[in-house]
Amino acid sequence: MNWGLWWSQIKAVIRLEMRKTFFAKRGIWVYLLALAPAALFFADSIAVIHDRDRRVEEASTHQVSRQAVQAIEMGMTREEVEAKLGEPYSKRSFKFGRRRETHEQTMYRYTDGETDYFFSFRDDELVGRGQNEIRTIPKDSLIFATVFQFFYLRLAIFFGCVGIFTNLFRGELLDKSLHFYLLAPIRREVLLIGKYLAGLIATVVIFTVSTALQLLAIGWHLTGPAMTEYLRGPGWGQIGAYLGVTALACLGYGSVFLAAGLLFRNPIIPAAVVLLWESANPFLPAALKKISVIFYLQSMCPVVARPTDMPALAALLLSSTEATPAVWAAGGLVVLTLAVLALAARQARKLEINYSSD
Amino acid sequence: MTPSQSAVAEGPGARGQGPVRPPPIEESLVVFDNVSRFYGEVLGVNRVTLSIPPGITSLVGPNGSGKTTLMNLMTGLVRPTRGSIRVLGAATDDPERLFRLVGYSTQFDSFPKGLTGFEFVYSFLRLFGDSHADCEARAWKAIERVNLVEPAKRKVAGYSKGMRQRIKLAQSIAHDPRVLVLDEPLNGLDPLVRAETIALFREFAAKGRHVIMSTHILHEVDMISDQVILLANGYVVAEGEISGVRSEISEQPIQVQIRCDRPSAMASRVFETDHVVEVKLHVDGGGLLIKTRDADKFYRLLNHIALEGINIESVTPADDNANSIYEYLIGGEEATK
Repeated sequence: MNWGLWWSQIKAVIRLEMRKTFFAKRGIWVYLLALAPAALFFADSIAVIHDRDRRVEEASTHQVSRQAVQAIEMGMTREEVEAKLGEPYSKRSFKFGRRRETHEQTMYRYTDGETDYFFSFRDDELVGRGQNEIRTIPKDSLIFATVFQFFYLRLAIFFGCVGIFTNLFRGELLDKSLHFYLLAPIRREVLLIGKYLAGLIATVVIFTVSTALQLLAIGWHLTGPAMTEYLRGPGWGQIGAYLGVTALACLGYGSVFLAAGLLFRNPIIPAAVVLLWESANPFLPAALKKISVIFYLQSMCPVVARPTDMPALAALLLSSTEATPAVWAAGGLVVLTLAVLALAARQARKLEINYSSD
Repeated sequence: MTPSQSAVAEGPGARGQGPVRPPPIEESLVVFDNVSRFYGEVLGVNRVTLSIPPGITSLVGPNGSGKTTLMNLMTGLVRPTRGSIRVLGAATDDPERLFRLVGYSTQFDSFPKGLTGFEFVYSFLRLFGDSHADCEARAWKAIERVNLVEPAKRKVAGYSKGMRQRIKLAQSIAHDPRVLVLDEPLNGLDPLVRAETIALFREFAAKGRHVIMSTHILHEVDMISDQVILLANGYVVAEGEISGVRSEISEQPIQVQIRCDRPSAMASRVFETDHVVEVKLHVDGGGLLIKTRDADKFYRLLNHIALEGINIESVTPADDNANSIYEYLIGGEEATK
């Protein structure tokens, strides 16, 4: 065993691959995919800040108290409501119905500076009410958990890893340049590990930076004290967990798509199959669930998106996942990754250069 | 001391170690033992048994004859379906040992993207696990050897065909291999660079190393080669020193298509000689196919027949590539007589 030589060779492979994985023109879409949620969260935070400022401004001229709002009962007239709460800051009416029988629908909006209250009158009778709370940390956590589990893990990181890891071998077969590696005195297993680590460094950097940016973006609207309170509570733990899950997702999906690039000529087909398999995970028997990356990742997410807050289909996907302790989940994922890499190494040893058939 | 033993004693493995005992003979040879390779149902090479000694060996044969397959087999880029290959005693599925002995300049005209000529050679050397300074020095030495110092800092993508050939050659010699395998290495080189490159091969061979190359440029085979391996349809047709191959090949008949006004008269005329083994008249009555064992004598005979009044419209080799090799090799022999 010549560990020193192998490590030098792995570093040489990583150096060669870095340029391709980080700066390839055809990899721009991976950056877009990774950074899209961060951009959306920034836009959302700006909208939340704008909305908060608006409520404060409205409250300065039309302020109501929460107690006064709670005193309003269904069936009251507009006059009665106005007598208790005063003039609303927004009043909108429209008429609907047939020619002989028309009705007037009116919407009153009040605010106490934090919460928006809505009252809906039909003709002159209060028939509906609602409220829109200002965004809070628990609500933000739930939004982040939903986007993270349903878009980021299952789509962004998944397809990012498809793009980067399948190309490590398959891309060079298509470019007809893989033989340069195979003509060096380097074991195929060492080459495979070097390429895998290069892909892993690239994806971990791209996607964990994006996760950090997303967390920063979603909390952008929080005031200083709220942020301090969050960080003193579960904040750092959750941030660490999300960054860890992101890195482990790259580890797991990376191994799967590296192997796919060696086993299949067209990586789209195995990617589609893996996507289906990962999506079907909740419906699989317990033993088969463990042959899946998403099973372990979901178990390690610090906030579980509550099924009641989600579309039925999405809720179904989450509700069936059994909770697994984080240590077991991380261990399971590492074992799965090693098993897939061993399969890929076996395939790499059999690899031949026959570009015309590739 | 045999030439091959002498070669090994002078080789890089022996340098600086004082008097050395020659290694076993098989460790100075490239050995193919009953090797076959099929691509599905398509034959690559079949039942090849060879022992290639040090020196310059040319693989000669028409397109699709199995030259590249043979080189890919000896460098482990493809694996034999049957049989085994040892390169100076190293198995072809042991890259860690094999590629410290072997450098291969392939036919593939493609390079890792975005690299300069220097980076291309240097990065390859780093895969050997050596230090930056060592690899840098060796990369520049190899680049100097192929006269590519000035453009070495430019991207390979902007190189001409000849420059790409030379940078591939630099990469294959950069680690000072004992066996240099070259697939069409003279393609795209201008006459001056070609002469320099041939000199480089000779220098390599003079140190007792192997230079195994395929080429289509037949007039250079005789000039360059110590040995020739002639391949056709995946089989080794002839092998050995070039004079031996000439005598072997001279036994193989070649076919020539002739269009003329009196094919029957020509058939009876050519049958008067002992080197024509078969004649077939074309069904349209406008020509004939002649199989001869001596192309040189046959073409001289054709000149006489033309003077005798038969109007010859065209003379076409029926098996063009093999025939051209044959013509050259036999012609070379005649020329040296």
